[in-house]
Amino acid sequence: MIQPGKTFSHGYIIDDSVYQGFINIFLDRNPLHTSIEFAKKKGFISTVMHGNILNGFLSHFIGECLPTKNVIIHSQEIHYLKPVYLNDALELKVIVLDFFESVKTVEFKFHFNNQFKMKVAKGKFSIGLI
Amino acid sequence: MGENELLNQVNKIFIDVLDNEDIILTKNTTAKDVTEWDSLTHIQLIVAIEKHFKIRFISSEIRNWKNVGEMCLCIANKLNK
Repeated sequence: MIQPGKTFSHGYIIDDSVYQGFINIFLDRNPLHTSIEFAKKKGFISTVMHGNILNGFLSHFIGECLPTKNVIIHSQEIHYLKPVYLNDALELKVIVLDFFESVKTVEFKFHFNNQFKMKVAKGKFSIGLI
Repeated sequence: MGENELLNQVNKIFIDVLDNEDIILTKNTTAKDVTEWDSLTHIQLIVAIEKHFKIRFISSEIRNWKNVGEMCLCIANKLNK
């Protein structure tokens, strides 16, 4: 798990349950996310999914998909590169950047590709091994 | 690198990581003297120091430090190897 260069991947789909669940929990009903007409006026092909849905996927990956459950997140940064739409199928690719044995901390970089192999987001996160 | 320059660079790392421009480290400074220096920020500080100086500590070294002076001595020893 901790060897720099090691890679992981996991697939996610932003289906209606994810989209509506996010809205119901966090109450972000900005028209960019809820009005097709508004989104099209702003130059998008449809309503844009909340960027922080991807953070939720990252949370799932860190908490559930790494080889150990003994983890705690220290930091995370994400850059959104392309809009993501309802029912997009995303692939999260993660690579170990560095391991700091002294404080049992692992740094990763990641990106999300959509079903067209376009990179829609990228970033880094750091976790502690507990 | 001289002692003062090393302490100055470590001070800058503390200011950046702990987001407190008022931090002034001395050799005798301990975590009790810096409000923001707790067990979680300690990890961030160590990672930042390892990256900045391109060195690696081992966990036993960190546990033995009693103050910033001992931290700086450990850094200096690694830089001089």
